Amino acid sequence: MDAIVGFFSVALLTATLRSAAPLVFAAMGGLLSERSGVTNIALEGLMLLGAFAAAAGAWFTGNALLGLLVGVLAGMLGAVVFGLWAIGLRADQIVAGTAINLLGLGLTAFLVQRIWNQAGGSPSVARLPSFEVGGSTLNVLVPLAFLAVPVVHWVLFKTTGGLRLMAAGESPRAAESVGIDVPRYRYAAVLASGLLAGLGGAYLSIGDLSQFTTNMTAGRGFIALAAVIFGNWTPLGTLGAALLFGFAQALRFQVQALNWPIPQDLLIALPYLVTLLAVTGLVRNSQPPAGLGKHATSD
Amino acid sequence: MSPRFKTASAAPASRRAVLKVAAAAPLAAVFGGVVVGRLGAQEPVVVTMVTDTAGLGDQNFNDLAKRGLDRAAAELGIDPRVIESRDAAAYIPNLTQAAEQGDLTVGVGFLLTEAITEVANQYPDDNFLLIDAVSEAPNVAGVTFREHEGAFLAGVVAGLMTETNTVGVVGGIAIPPVIRYAVGFEAGVTSVNPEAEVIVAYADSFSDPALGKELTLAQYNQGADIAFPVAGATGIGSFDAAKEQGEGFWVIAADADQSQLGAEQQLAVAAKGVDTAVYALSEQVVNGAFAGGEQSLGLAEGGVDLLNPGGFVPEEVMAIVERYKQAIIDGAITVPADEEELAAYTPTAPDALPAAAATPAAGATPAA
Repeated sequence: MDAIVGFFSVALLTATLRSAAPLVFAAMGGLLSERSGVTNIALEGLMLLGAFAAAAGAWFTGNALLGLLVGVLAGMLGAVVFGLWAIGLRADQIVAGTAINLLGLGLTAFLVQRIWNQAGGSPSVARLPSFEVGGSTLNVLVPLAFLAVPVVHWVLFKTTGGLRLMAAGESPRAAESVGIDVPRYRYAAVLASGLLAGLGGAYLSIGDLSQFTTNMTAGRGFIALAAVIFGNWTPLGTLGAALLFGFAQALRFQVQALNWPIPQDLLIALPYLVTLLAVTGLVRNSQPPAGLGKHATSD
Repeated sequence: MSPRFKTASAAPASRRAVLKVAAAAPLAAVFGGVVVGRLGAQEPVVVTMVTDTAGLGDQNFNDLAKRGLDRAAAELGIDPRVIESRDAAAYIPNLTQAAEQGDLTVGVGFLLTEAITEVANQYPDDNFLLIDAVSEAPNVAGVTFREHEGAFLAGVVAGLMTETNTVGVVGGIAIPPVIRYAVGFEAGVTSVNPEAEVIVAYADSFSDPALGKELTLAQYNQGADIAFPVAGATGIGSFDAAKEQGEGFWVIAADADQSQLGAEQQLAVAAKGVDTAVYALSEQVVNGAFAGGEQSLGLAEGGVDLLNPGGFVPEEVMAIVERYKQAIIDGAITVPADEEELAAYTPTAPDALPAAAATPAAGATPAA
């Protein structure tokens, strides 16, 4: 009994929150973008830009908060480029998103070389403050990530702008016919997704760790997008999906640390297995926004 | 930034040029001046290193290879080039490009074994160096390290210095070199401290530091006070974990000294001479003396060692380390290299070591 109680410790909870937080940031961004009708597979690249710029900002200024600001701005800048392609120039959104992902990977690796004259990562930089919960450490971005969920929920469902944004995502033609400036709402949503993905990236480089390394996002942007789909394009559902994945990760860390005679491969696959089971069991009538990927009739 | 050093007129020729000169030898008597002229305009030997997916900046394995390359550039005047591999699908194109442009192609890591064998077979006249594995192709020099011997000494340090009787290994991907590290470490720990528990966890990535941090934190939470990351850039996170936990939590670095990540957290280093291997093979090519085939480097060859750069390991512990080191060099202890050998391994306690090495290291005579 003690073993079971000991197993579900504060450490397991905080590890869950730490693993889920960057996913929550990026997923909230993805959610806004997708609800406005723009498929956003660029999250991974936007996160990476944010992670890099945050570390670079912290390195140049010596101040982690300024680094955070730079990281967020870089995520938004990447989102502007993505928006210009995917909304303004009416490019295929998947292709534009892939381009941003490649840009994020290549540009950050290049700039690391230029700035620090070394390949693959930054030196150690200033880190955002953190606080202790029951002997475990959480950085200040963790509560902010979870605070973003009710904010996104409120914006989407309780404000006129949010409802118009969702109208642009459901049926861009119908929205236009009643005078909604569809591209404008989409730009706003994509910009917000850049802000949030930038926060998710900064979380990794100056929140959780204290340096940038090449491709440090390691697919988290794609997992965030999966959380949006798994969460049926709602903020609370997406939060649940991100938490489930974070919990499965934390469970994996914990079981690996307990040194039980379980094959390592199985433990490594655990988060993905749990997600797969949850998706097959829970997602019955997942409904994407009807206008997802469709361009507005006019600019 | 890549320094292109001009070869001095006396600089040794590349392999290709050597062949050209050899072919021209009968004519040399007649057109001697021409041949010398060609040698004078000799381009430097090009050595191209192809990284694994962890890439440069892992502050570890790939960076260590790069260090050897840079040293060869500075001292031998080679033209150093690096191609980074973004994913496993890039290995063959990258190695092909390297073979096309260079005189020696260095594949950094076990993960490139199949790719380098394939490319080496397509370029039978080119020279290849594979770190950490052996290839079937005759023109590939496969340099492997007996990491388990260095890791054993790291395990001795960990076993003697843990205050919680629990230590952890964070592996990148469970490939033979990483397994050798983990197994050797465990054998070292149990030799000096049969009570101690060794936790082994694999990340399944060499390039995810956030993941490495969480795995290390979980081990610390489970009672470990020393972590041994063998995980490329993933292991960077172990230092962040140790910093966060504060005093009394340590990291033992693998492959390279990682003081820059946390000099106060790094207890010791199980060093691996990847840089030495890259340098030595570059030198062979420059001298036209390249030989393919297999080479295994351990404690006896100076290919691996235990370093104490921070001085955190006390004298008396280092003395025991030296005795084990001598015993391994002398063959008195055979360090297990895989799980099976570990299961069959009977730990040798410090008291049971050959008494000969009372004054370690200084008067160490080669085994007869």
